Amino acid sequence: MTNSNQQYEALQAEYKRRYDAVLNPLAEALRAFLAECLKGELRIDRVAARPKDVDRFVAKAPKLNDGRPKYAEPLEQIQDQVGARIITFYPTDVARLDPVVKKWFNPIEFRDHVPESEWEFGYFGRHYVLAIPTDVIDDRWDKAMIPRFFELQVKTLFEHAWSEAEHDLGYKPGEQPLTSDETRRLAYTSAQAWGADRMFDELFRARTAKAGRATV
Amino acid sequence: MRVKFESRAPLAFHDSGAHTHRRLVRANVVALNWHKTRGPSWGATVPVQQIHTYLVHPGKGGGGARQINGTGVALRDRLFNLLDGIYSRSEQECVIDIIFKPTDGGVQQNDCRDLICAYLTDPTLPNGRAIAERLESQTDKRSGLGLLFLISGREGRDHKIVISRFPTDSAILVEENPRTLDVEFLERVFMKNKTSYKAVMYRDSSLRGGIWSGKAIDKQISFAGESSDYWIADFLLSAFAVTPTQGTRRLGTALREAAKKSDIDVKQEIIAAATLAGRLGRQAISINDFEQRFNLSQAAREAISNELKSPRLAEEQFEFVAAEFNELLAFRSKELSNGAMLTAPSANFDDVFKQEIVDEATHETKFTTQGTVVNDKLKPTV
Repeated sequence: MTNSNQQYEALQAEYKRRYDAVLNPLAEALRAFLAECLKGELRIDRVAARPKDVDRFVAKAPKLNDGRPKYAEPLEQIQDQVGARIITFYPTDVARLDPVVKKWFNPIEFRDHVPESEWEFGYFGRHYVLAIPTDVIDDRWDKAMIPRFFELQVKTLFEHAWSEAEHDLGYKPGEQPLTSDETRRLAYTSAQAWGADRMFDELFRARTAKAGRATV
Repeated sequence: MRVKFESRAPLAFHDSGAHTHRRLVRANVVALNWHKTRGPSWGATVPVQQIHTYLVHPGKGGGGARQINGTGVALRDRLFNLLDGIYSRSEQECVIDIIFKPTDGGVQQNDCRDLICAYLTDPTLPNGRAIAERLESQTDKRSGLGLLFLISGREGRDHKIVISRFPTDSAILVEENPRTLDVEFLERVFMKNKTSYKAVMYRDSSLRGGIWSGKAIDKQISFAGESSDYWIADFLLSAFAVTPTQGTRRLGTALREAAKKSDIDVKQEIIAAATLAGRLGRQAISINDFEQRFNLSQAAREAISNELKSPRLAEEQFEFVAAEFNELLAFRSKELSNGAMLTAPSANFDDVFKQEIVDEATHETKFTTQGTVVNDKLKPTV
C-alpha cells in the first residue's frame, strides 16, 4: 500500500469518526438553532443542515490550487464540514435576511456566488462562513472533533432546486466529469431558474407596492 | 531599550533607562476565574519559548513614523516568572471570547490575524515589531504610552500566544534606611492591575485553519457604561464571539422560562430583575454577571441555570442590548386605585386581562381574568 493510500485511508477513517460522533448531531442542533433565530421571519420555505458526507470530504481534501494542494490540513481547513441552507421565496428575501444572519452569527466570510462572466449561467447563491455558535455544542463531544465554522447558504427556491439537481449530476466522486454539451444544458436550466427568480421578484415587488406594503 | 523588573513588586515594571534597581510600591493581584479553551491538548501546558517586548507610543492619525524600540526577554529570573504567570493564567483571566472579523467586503482575511500568525510561524523581534506598529497606529493620546509583551510557545501541534499591554502610570518609590526615608516620584511605571490593562490569548492546533478565535481581557470594558473599542475592535479587528443578539436573547429566554417554571418567590425575583434590566445601557455582561448585579438568590440562579444547555454559557460575555431584551421579556404592570396589582407578559397583557370601562368620567375600569391558581403566597408588608 502506497503512502498516499495510507494517508487517504487515515483521513477517511478520522473524518468518519468525526462524522458519526459530532458532525451529524451538530448539524441537527444547528438546524434547530437557525430555525429559532428565524422565527417570525416571513417567506422562509425551510431551514436545513447536513454534514458533508465522508466520500465528498475525502474527494475535496486533495484538491489542487495552481498545482499545489489547497488543503495542507483538510480537517482544520475545510470549513463546510457542516453546511446549512435557508431557502426563501424571492431574491429580495435573500438580501433582507443578510442583516438577520449577521445579527445572530459572526461571519469570517460572506459573498455572492455568481458566474464569472455575464455570458455564463451556473451557480448562484449567497454564502457565509460562520462561527459555530456555542449554544449548539454538546459538552460531551470531543472538542478536537468540533469544526470551528459552518457554511450557510441563503438561496431562493429556484436556486436551491437547481443547485441540488446540478450537484447530484455533476459531482459524484469517481464518475466522469460532464461533457461540454451537458454543461451547456445545465447552464440553460440555470438561466431559466435565474429568469424565473427575476419574474417572481418583480411580481412580488409590484404587487406589494400596489397594496401599499413594504417589501419586508 | 532596557526594562527593569523590581524584585519586591512583581506586578510592576519600571522603564529605568539609566536608573539603578529600586523598590516599588506593591500592587494587588486581581482575582481570577477558570475558563476552558479550545485545543486538542485540553489542560496541557504549552511552555513559554519566547518573549518580546516593545514600548508603544500613541501614533493614531500619523504624525510621522517612529522607530519602535523592542527587546527580547530572557526566560529566567523574576521578570520571566511574572510573565510566565500571566501566560499560564491567561486561560482563566481572559474572559471575553472574541473572533477576528473579515474585510468589509467579506473576504476571509484579517490584517491583525495575519501579523499574529506570521509571528507564531517565526517569532522574531522584527515580526513582533509589526504587531507593535499596528498597536501604535491604533493608539491615540487617551490610551497613551504602553508596554507591549508578546509571550508565545509551542507544544506539539499547539501554538499559544499571549499579547499583553501594560499602560503607563506614575508611582512613588520608597527607600527605607535605618533612620531616614527616601521618597521619589517615578514616571513611566507599567502596572498590570490598572483599569486599562489589556491582554488577549490565542491557542490553537492550526495556524492555517485556526487562530480565528481568542480570549481577551479589557478592564475598561468591566465598568458599567464604558466600552473600549481600542483593544478589541480597533487593534485586534475583532468582535465579541457571542453577538449582542445571541447573548441578550439567551439571557432573556433563560429568565422567561425560569420564571414560568418557578414558585411565586423566585418568579417575582426574576420579574423584578428583568424589569430593572430593561433600563441597562449597552455593556459587556455575562449571565453570571447579571445574577450578581441583581443579587439573585441561589434558588433563582439555579432556576436560570436549568434553562441553559451548559454552565459555560452563563460565563460567556456579550454586549447587552436593552431593545432586544425588552422585546423578549417585557412585563407590564398596572396598579389600580383599590390596591390591586396586575402583572403579565406585555406581549399578551391584553389577552390575560380583559378590560371594560365602567365609568367614562372617572376612567374606572373593570379587569377580568380567568385561570387556575398555581401559586398563592401571603407576604408581610414589613
